[in-house]
Amino acid sequence: MSLLKPILILAIYISSGCVNRDNKTVEITSDSQNEILKAERFTLARKDGYIRLKIINPWQGATDLNQTYFLVKRGEKIPSGYDSSSVVFVPLKKIICMSTTHAAMISALGEENSVRGMSGTGFLYDKKLIENTKKGLIADVGYEANLNKELILKVAPDVIMIYGIGSESAGYLGKIKELGVTVILNADYLETDPLGKTEWIKVFGALYCKDEMADSIYNAEAENYNKLKKFIARKINNRPKVLLGLPFKDTWYISPGNSFISKLISDAGGEYLWQESESAVSMPVGIENVYLRALKADFWLNIGSAKSKNDISAIDPRLNELPCFKQGNLYNNNYRINPEGGNDYWESGTVSPHLILKDIASIIHPELFSGNELFYYQKLN
Amino acid sequence: MTSGKHYSFIFIVLIILVISLFILDILFGSVSIKASEVIKAIFSSSGNNIETIILKFRVPKAVTALVVGAALSLSGLQMQTIFRNPIAGPDVLGVSSGASLGVAFVILGFSASISPDSINGVGNWILVIASWIGAGFIMVLIMFISSRVKDIMTILILGIMISSGISAIVIILQYFSNETMLKAYVIWTMGSLGNLTSGQLNVLLISVMAGTLLSLASVKMLNALQLGENYGASIGLNVRLSRVVIFSCTSILAGSVTAFCGPIGFIGIAVPHISRIIFKTSDHKILVPGTILAGGAVMIACDIISQLPGSETVLPVNAVTSLIGIPVVIWVILRNRKFSGTF
Repeated sequence: MSLLKPILILAIYISSGCVNRDNKTVEITSDSQNEILKAERFTLARKDGYIRLKIINPWQGATDLNQTYFLVKRGEKIPSGYDSSSVVFVPLKKIICMSTTHAAMISALGEENSVRGMSGTGFLYDKKLIENTKKGLIADVGYEANLNKELILKVAPDVIMIYGIGSESAGYLGKIKELGVTVILNADYLETDPLGKTEWIKVFGALYCKDEMADSIYNAEAENYNKLKKFIARKINNRPKVLLGLPFKDTWYISPGNSFISKLISDAGGEYLWQESESAVSMPVGIENVYLRALKADFWLNIGSAKSKNDISAIDPRLNELPCFKQGNLYNNNYRINPEGGNDYWESGTVSPHLILKDIASIIHPELFSGNELFYYQKLN
Repeated sequence: MTSGKHYSFIFIVLIILVISLFILDILFGSVSIKASEVIKAIFSSSGNNIETIILKFRVPKAVTALVVGAALSLSGLQMQTIFRNPIAGPDVLGVSSGASLGVAFVILGFSASISPDSINGVGNWILVIASWIGAGFIMVLIMFISSRVKDIMTILILGIMISSGISAIVIILQYFSNETMLKAYVIWTMGSLGNLTSGQLNVLLISVMAGTLLSLASVKMLNALQLGENYGASIGLNVRLSRVVIFSCTSILAGSVTAFCGPIGFIGIAVPHISRIIFKTSDHKILVPGTILAGGAVMIACDIISQLPGSETVLPVNAVTSLIGIPVVIWVILRNRKFSGTF
């Protein structure tokens, strides 16, 4: 597996037309680089009539791999020397998204009517998008290997936005490209800073020619987030320890300390039990190891799909012995969840991380936010 | 060499090996704990964290490893003998798949009436019995095929077909089941030793104990059937009865393990050969207890390796058993290129 992945990545690299190394002959002079503050996986650069969007290392484990798109206003000519397969005409009129997160950002820009296809419409939480699905405006194009190619062709989107091209999805990327549809990779899920994820709204701003709106949404969110973060940092005098996740049998996949959720816990005035660890992917840790460390936890958050204490006991009754379990300090991020399991935490939460921050902070420091009602989280009983 | 003495020597060595590996398995895990503290935790009840780790995590896991190794190896030995096929084993001929089908029916099919809570009581028995029925059904199917087709290779290929057919049925069941049930099933298929509740461990122990006693009682039948059913009949063996006894035994052993630990590959094929190599005999009076011990030892060793002592990370035990079992199986195939001789 570890050998297979680089080979597959190499294969995609060789076979895909619009993945460019930096040293490609196309040069843009007098760039005005957009100010990207927190996001590490994309850059936007502007020149006269078009924008260069560069997606950096778009999947887990990718190194030195960039994908560049040239966003050209509709009706204008493709600048000479550019490969037409990497040109995207903007503003987009029709898009298919593989993730509800993408749809949430489009909806935040008021462009929800452009969403014409989704992977798993049942997972949507956004009211406007659900309404559009009911009206038959959004097609469910299926999943990775079972992607409904005929439906995609019927929708004929300007762009299909996908994420997570690892070895397992390599095949389906090639297939979509064969259909002649422009594919844009979205790497927001790899951002390790909560605001970095939000900043991807600027990519959508560029794609819909609503840059100013996207900037102002981001700036407002960043201000809310940072204000809250500073307030918490000023007020707290202890950092409660936080455990995350659930085991699969006797292995516990641990989010590393350099992850999105670890950053949120730290900003909320807590200490994640694996705060010091660093890894690009979740780490498989033996359950006894996690158990020993978990004994120190004051709170237990993001507990898989558990909806009650019983759900945790059913997975492993030994977890009932943990002090945070006994004290009932169990909170899961699945309060806003639809019947099919679609979770708004991953949908609107990406656009409004300050709400997640506020939830976590009021869970671990209830003294700071008396009377605050949780938004994404619920206490498990 | 007088074989009696020779065998008892090997048995003593094996018993010491199993005990030492068992102790090592409790001493080493992904958390490093000093040996003195482990001993303290076992013999005094201080109620501290180390004690919880040892008594609630390591001891049950080591016991499970021992039982699983013994049960899978024994069922493999019985299958190799009764089908007279050196590369028979619960996973190769689809018996484990049959057991998974039973489990899939319970988890994915009828679990509307089984909640996660009830799985821990009567539910354990429902799961294990469904698993036995699934395994037994495949055993009968293979017997039926073996009675028509004598070629070992053909039977193996048919075994693969059966496994694939069952996987297809399971995929269809998965396709029509909801997310929660699907997740429960996927987690089950990952195979693991360390996640049994004490209730499940009890059910596993009782079932495997029953299967093992039955196997020890059927040693004579195995010896006779090894030489062919006609030979068995000629010395007055009730072939049909023997078959029923051995089939039930294999289904109980392989089925119980599969029900609680998920599919664990290659132990069932490889260990009987290891014990044949060690004991240099085909007498089941020696091979049955020898395989039980060797199976326990190999499985515990795999568990120790999968914990990667000293590191926080763990490996899936399934992968370790495959990596250890596959070379043995390849060696057997290369050695028996004609698949005749002893079988």
